[in-house]
Amino acid sequence: MLQDHFRKEPVFLLSSGIILTFIAMGILFPEVLDRAASAVHGAILDYFSWLYLLAGFFFLLFTLAIALSKYGTVKLGSDNERPQYTFFGWVAMLFAAGMGIGLLFWGVSEPLVHFLQPPPFLTPTSPDAAAFAMRYSFFHWGIHPWAIYTIVSLSIAYFSFRRGMPALISSCFYPVLGERTFRLPGNIVDVLAVFATVFGTATSLGFGALQIHSGFTHLYGISSAISVTIGIIIIATALFMASAILGVEKGVQILSKFNILLATLLLAFILALGSTPFILNLFSSTLGGYINNLVDLSLQAYPFAGYEWSRDWTVFYWAWWISWSPFVGLFIARISRGRTIREFVLTVLTVPTLFTFIWFSVFGGSALYLELHNDVDLALIAGEDVSLALFAFFEHYPYAGMLSLIAILLLSIFFVTSADSATVVLGSLTTRGSIVVPLYKKVIWGLSLSLVSIVLLVTGGLDALQMMAITAAFPFMLVMIVLCYTLWIGLSQEKFEE
Amino acid sequence: MFEKTLIPVAYGEKPEELKKIGNILKSFGSRSICLFHVSEAGSLFRGSDISWMEAHKDVLEELDLTVEIRTGSDHIASAIAEAALQEGADEIYLKAKRHWQIRTMLLGSVSRDLLRLSDIPVFVHKIRPRLPGEGEGRISREYLIILYATDLDEISNRPIPYLMDFQGAWCHILHVRDRRADPHSEERQKKKIDELLLGASEELAPYFGRVSSEQRLGDPAGEVLHVSEQIKADVIVLGRKRRGFLAAPMGETAERIVTGTKASIFLVP
Repeated sequence: MLQDHFRKEPVFLLSSGIILTFIAMGILFPEVLDRAASAVHGAILDYFSWLYLLAGFFFLLFTLAIALSKYGTVKLGSDNERPQYTFFGWVAMLFAAGMGIGLLFWGVSEPLVHFLQPPPFLTPTSPDAAAFAMRYSFFHWGIHPWAIYTIVSLSIAYFSFRRGMPALISSCFYPVLGERTFRLPGNIVDVLAVFATVFGTATSLGFGALQIHSGFTHLYGISSAISVTIGIIIIATALFMASAILGVEKGVQILSKFNILLATLLLAFILALGSTPFILNLFSSTLGGYINNLVDLSLQAYPFAGYEWSRDWTVFYWAWWISWSPFVGLFIARISRGRTIREFVLTVLTVPTLFTFIWFSVFGGSALYLELHNDVDLALIAGEDVSLALFAFFEHYPYAGMLSLIAILLLSIFFVTSADSATVVLGSLTTRGSIVVPLYKKVIWGLSLSLVSIVLLVTGGLDALQMMAITAAFPFMLVMIVLCYTLWIGLSQEKFEE
Repeated sequence: MFEKTLIPVAYGEKPEELKKIGNILKSFGSRSICLFHVSEAGSLFRGSDISWMEAHKDVLEELDLTVEIRTGSDHIASAIAEAALQEGADEIYLKAKRHWQIRTMLLGSVSRDLLRLSDIPVFVHKIRPRLPGEGEGRISREYLIILYATDLDEISNRPIPYLMDFQGAWCHILHVRDRRADPHSEERQKKKIDELLLGASEELAPYFGRVSSEQRLGDPAGEVLHVSEQIKADVIVLGRKRRGFLAAPMGETAERIVTGTKASIFLVP
């Protein structure tokens, strides 16, 4: 009986089994889980942190090479297919899925934290530390994350729309695995994708919940107890599960567009009321520094001084992007049907990146301006509680309360759209790539996402979230390296298929 | 096609061994042999007595073969390749020495250079087919197993005229390919290759005692070596492709097959 069920649903049973074991461990033996997770995480960082940097840079070079090669004209779909969504709708959705919550969480706090706690070779709160902080904020949120997403989304889009395979990560392994793609070896690839998605999404949801909580505490002085954060996650879970169960795919598109417009308005407001010339100068000079130092930034681990800093920040980010990539990749692939590889890669790499750079220049730059020229001690607040920095920053602008409410609204919508999309993607990954996902699977994955998020927050807070993102990303990074190879094989066979 | 064969010989070659080789070549259709010796620059024997070659000539002539003797100097492989062209030889015969067969299957540097430089086919005689012992007679073609490794493209059609010289043997045609990127294309490709192999088999069937074919997925050199061991092939016939940038001197696949197999190789440039 169980064997029969396993034969029918291997990916669902394996992955849900692993995740449920993790949740049970977190509830029953939190210390054991913490020790085990710390040991695995420590070993990965000790031995393989360099691999995250190399892999990230390789993914960037690979995507550019594909886009600029003769394969750039290959369509993600049949040759006469047209894109399903308008350019704006498409960019808005991929941006909302790929960055949303993180950008709000780190937009103000990351430059401030780097400014206050740079690597040991820089003097904290110095102008050099400020330039370094901005450059690394650009770097961590720049072209690399999108290159990582592109590897997964391009592979899935190519193999599913062009080659008629199910929309699964394992489908991309056909050139290597052959018929074994549909048996255990392929199932293991999908289980790794589910594993990475659950922990990557749970990390982002944890960040989002922490920040929504901080916003409410800041605005209304409500308790900062962890139980309130858990309450926020439970309410958000009810909302995104209702959305996922009702299947409002169009709703996600409308909400994404609305959120991008709202975020742009917020951005314009801060730009207009902040020190505009300083922000624009900062944008231009940081962009120059970023482009000029792209190779060095990509491969720099600071082995002599600042190695810990590089591991805590760059490696964490790369792992986070990798753990997000199955979910974002599947989502971006689904909305990109009908576009050419060149259009797809170059847009995904440049448009959201440019918006992100503007976002960091406006929010991070304004925060640094307040810190350096107005003697406002925002960095200290960010150093103590990164989730609070955005709301403390709004205090120095007119209509601070309304701005904070808008930020909370943005966070909540991003939370709901991300969790909704992740639930549907997880359901699809565990239903052989089908778009029609049974209700019980949506419920199980929705609850799993929230429970993992709660378990991580209760066992170790922000550190536990970061730790799990790095751990979950490691096996999937290896999967992604193979994806590059199989995508190349698939594309190089294009001429034989004509 | 194998009318005239050039055999590089070194001082100390055993006449009885050469007689066995002569027998084999005769069974493959050779009528004329050119014995060629290259003296290395600075060698003590350079330009001296070649009576040992005359003795070899006599032995081969006893087999009703026309035999000529030639000598050359300087870079050994280049001199052999050049002499083969000048003499109008159809093939060069190279024997992998016995101690190589026991210790390793690697070829010497001269053989490797020659395989890379030669513009005419090279026959590298390894463990199989075994040289017949005294009184055992000649190798009969009907007992030979020929493995013809082909890409089924125009370049790999070049060895076909030479393949025909093994008429009467069992010819096994092997095509090794990559897996296609999706099951549908894979199925189509498999079918297409099956049709091409069937066509090739039908073309060769009238000339061979038995013709079989198969297609395999994977690394070409590895699969050729695997199949040649499986069917105990005596001779592997394959074309040598023009080497690409950064590739091994004679092409990676050919090099791995030549060094790794126990069967003889007939390498057509």
